[in-house]
Amino acid sequence: MTLPLHHPDDQLLIGYASGQERAGKSLLVATHLAYCPDCRLRVASYEALCGSWFEELRCDDHDSLGGLDALLDRMDGLLAAGRAPAEAKPSRPAPAAPTGGRLVPEPLRSWLPEAIDTPTDDGSWREISTGVWLSGWERTLSGTTICLLRMASGAPVPAHHHTADELLLVLQGAFSDEYGSYALGDVAQYVADTDHHAQGASEEDCICLFLLDGELIFLDAEGNPA
Amino acid sequence: MPFLREPLLPGPSDQDPDQDRPSQSLDADRLDRLVGAVARERDRTAFAALFRHFAPKILHYCLKLGADRSTAEELVQDVMLTVWLKAGSFDPAQATVGTWVFTIARNRRIDRLRKEMRPAPDPADPAMTPQSHATPEESAQLVQSSRHLQEAIGSLAANQSEVLRRSYFLEQTHEEIAEDTEMPLGTVKTRLRLALGHLKRSLGDKA
Repeated sequence: MTLPLHHPDDQLLIGYASGQERAGKSLLVATHLAYCPDCRLRVASYEALCGSWFEELRCDDHDSLGGLDALLDRMDGLLAAGRAPAEAKPSRPAPAAPTGGRLVPEPLRSWLPEAIDTPTDDGSWREISTGVWLSGWERTLSGTTICLLRMASGAPVPAHHHTADELLLVLQGAFSDEYGSYALGDVAQYVADTDHHAQGASEEDCICLFLLDGELIFLDAEGNPA
Repeated sequence: MPFLREPLLPGPSDQDPDQDRPSQSLDADRLDRLVGAVARERDRTAFAALFRHFAPKILHYCLKLGADRSTAEELVQDVMLTVWLKAGSFDPAQATVGTWVFTIARNRRIDRLRKEMRPAPDPADPAMTPQSHATPEESAQLVQSSRHLQEAIGSLAANQSEVLRRSYFLEQTHEEIAEDTEMPLGTVKTRLRLALGHLKRSLGDKA
């Protein structure tokens, strides 16, 4: 079993550990963690760092502390009842059965409406160029647009321009670009205004979780916005 | 059973004002034992000691992150009730009590203050890649990379650690950090970049 080789950068990992990172990118980081024991340890180290900062907090506001004394007394009844606070547990759909490849891990699986490798002609995919599709499924989470990108073997993603960060997480197959090749669980991170040329690099279609902060503009043959 | 009364505030006594209150200087072993007593014996005195230690920190954390007073107090109650209910799931091999309570406080305030869910992997998920799937080579690499990161965190320059803390833990913008610390904005950005570079170097030859 080969573990992921391409990881989210430390900014994302520490942001995920501290809670500073918002839900959209956290969904990608958390799903990468399901594939990557290495980053799980890394996040645990960053959580420990935040834990040490938490331990250093001192509250000197005497009014607030007085309120806490009363709160401790009020909690007495709650402890006796021992009931958990109403937790907002999202109702989890049954895992979408994979038709072929591996099951997508949580937390992403619960977000997806169906298995990722549905036929490309069943209406759930939109072909943006020969052998490259975007899923009809799309979500916006904390300002980040999330969908799936699918590349047939050797099919290049058409030239595009993005005004903000773009992130890919491989869920099936593999793709490559000028920086390397990416397989199951790998993360490719592209900062704004960079050029990169991804293309499918596995026999089966490569399917990725695709995150974009800003607008995505595909370019025509002359490099102008299509 | 009511709690033994032991006020959170030191009385107007002859205590040295600079000395940490006993409630804030519980050491790691003592905290482990208190959580154990809550888990096994539903020990309310132990819970009260944990409350006195952590409630002011949770309150401070929530206020710093933008909660108003009453919301912050509700969050304190929420987090401490979770400590009471989930004490049995605390594993001292995985984290310190302080880190465990921090993660509970972090999740609750994201839920409450941002109205967002926090995505997290599910350890019971059969689709998750367990650490045992690593080859012996990968396992050795895992241990080494984790140790390198610990060392990098431990060797962060104090002024770099401070901008990291403000930026990620207190979620301050670069401008807010500059204003609070009376540092030029450029210095804030440089220190943050240096801090992240220092942590990144611990990755070694990993991509």
